[in-house]
Amino acid sequence: MAENILVVGGGPAGLNAAVMLSELGVNVTLVERDSFIGGNPKKFKYKFLFPDMQPADNVIGELIKKTESGGNIKVYYSSEVSDFKENGKKFDATIKSAGGSETKTFDSVIVATGFEHFDPARDAKYSYQLFDDVIDIKDLERMMGENNFVRPSNGQPPKNVAFILCVGSRDRHIGNQYCSRVCCTISVKQAIELKEHFPDCEVYIFYMDIRTYGFFEDLYWQAMEEHDVQIVKGRIAEITSGPNNTVVCKGEDTLLRGPFEIPFDMVVLASGMEGGPQSPEISSKLGIELDEHGFLKPENITLSPFKSNKAGIFLAGACTGPKAISDSITEGAAAAMNAYTYAVKNR
Amino acid sequence: MEYDENGVSIVPSGFKREIFEEARKDFRYEEYVRGCLNCGVCTGGCPPHRFFDFSPRIVLQNMKSKDPELIWTMMDEYIWACFQCFTCAMICPFLNSPGGIIAVLREIAVRRGFESAKKVLKPYSRVLLKLTAYGNQLSPDMIQPDFFPDWGPHIGYAATDLAAKRKAIPMPTLQVTNLSWDVAPEAMKELYDIFDEAGVFKIIEAVDPSLYEIIQDIVDDVRSS
Repeated sequence: MAENILVVGGGPAGLNAAVMLSELGVNVTLVERDSFIGGNPKKFKYKFLFPDMQPADNVIGELIKKTESGGNIKVYYSSEVSDFKENGKKFDATIKSAGGSETKTFDSVIVATGFEHFDPARDAKYSYQLFDDVIDIKDLERMMGENNFVRPSNGQPPKNVAFILCVGSRDRHIGNQYCSRVCCTISVKQAIELKEHFPDCEVYIFYMDIRTYGFFEDLYWQAMEEHDVQIVKGRIAEITSGPNNTVVCKGEDTLLRGPFEIPFDMVVLASGMEGGPQSPEISSKLGIELDEHGFLKPENITLSPFKSNKAGIFLAGACTGPKAISDSITEGAAAAMNAYTYAVKNR
Repeated sequence: MEYDENGVSIVPSGFKREIFEEARKDFRYEEYVRGCLNCGVCTGGCPPHRFFDFSPRIVLQNMKSKDPELIWTMMDEYIWACFQCFTCAMICPFLNSPGGIIAVLREIAVRRGFESAKKVLKPYSRVLLKLTAYGNQLSPDMIQPDFFPDWGPHIGYAATDLAAKRKAIPMPTLQVTNLSWDVAPEAMKELYDIFDEAGVFKIIEAVDPSLYEIIQDIVDDVRSS
């Protein structure tokens, strides 16, 4: 008899876990809160992925296709786990969707509930939602995905653009002390895309530290050497309106120029990643631990980052902390392997 | 006091260390000085930074260096450029408070009667005198162009016909110009007790000994009334 495994969340991690389990012959139940699968990359229409600028569709589209064509994956759209109980070494979960509620017994569970983009409006100094030309990286990603590179306020090509790093990250005031890991690389990637589209546009990146870790460093060097992106050390203290429909970034260039107030046609905020409301929700529903950053807590962050503190419940993807899509996909596979082993052992 | 070849007084390094240790022992130090990434958001948002060579980031970095020499360089002018608006503390991602640590350093300068403190506090002697004599901080007759240049070009007009202007205020006033409101002797005595406990009189004595004498006479009068 085939194993039954529950996967909660249909983003890169959850989809890859579901696909791998289905290839092992497992009956997979995939619970997805949205009316579509693909997670945040699909929801916010990510266009190109770093570091190699491959179309996101190569990755996300591929996973969706495999999930939909894999015969033994049952996807519940717009659904949630409404009730959850341990049943010996197995789990009884009730899945609530538009089609009603259904209770099934599962051999193991993979939680891949992902992250939320930080809402920059929560940090008033950036004037997000106050000025049309202040957007964030997810907005720009969507705009560029729709082949729209112009200023939101007037539809004109921008003459200069500022990227501001660490928005919603590494800041005790907004409650997120951690680094969101990918925003530096995404910003550098988007800066290059902008320069490729408008070679005459001046692009600035304001940073505290540039964390294009590992091979992502290549993109950072490329941005400087091939695209003449200006990289300035200094956090922006305030964004105000400027002359000729510009937005003024005020800050201190802590290495070179000292104080500055520069008017920009467009400002892009590199908003970070958060555990979102889904993390505490699934934590209390399944009885698994939440960490101090608002993400789900692995049993051992180094030895078993894909295991929850509860035997039989596994974690994958950005629900345990900010990470790149490639890492989420790796963790989806790792969690699938572990969930399968647990299910077979307790057959 | 030692002097160098240019006639500038040499402050012994032991004394500079003492000043730093005094700041570090302050109960607020740990709360005000935390990690720092040199992001400059404090200085970017700092109002005096637009007008002076003053940077709250440098203040914090100097404190973090634990180098008494660097901290000493700020005691003379640097710490007095701060408006104490605490914008820096409001936006620092680490919750540092450069404004707060400046307050700590200023208090040391005042307690020890440093020349810089005397110079900066000179204009406040009028306010202190008014406060101890009448329990009022400011009264209409203190509005004089010489004392409030920062009030802008209309201060001259504001200082004229004070009695008439006071009558025009549509609520009960004392109809005098040397007081804003009447303070009961009991309240004054309480104020002196607070000044005693908080060490305010000691500070006045250190910064302005002649003002201290005048104030002591007033305090004795009120206390014995």
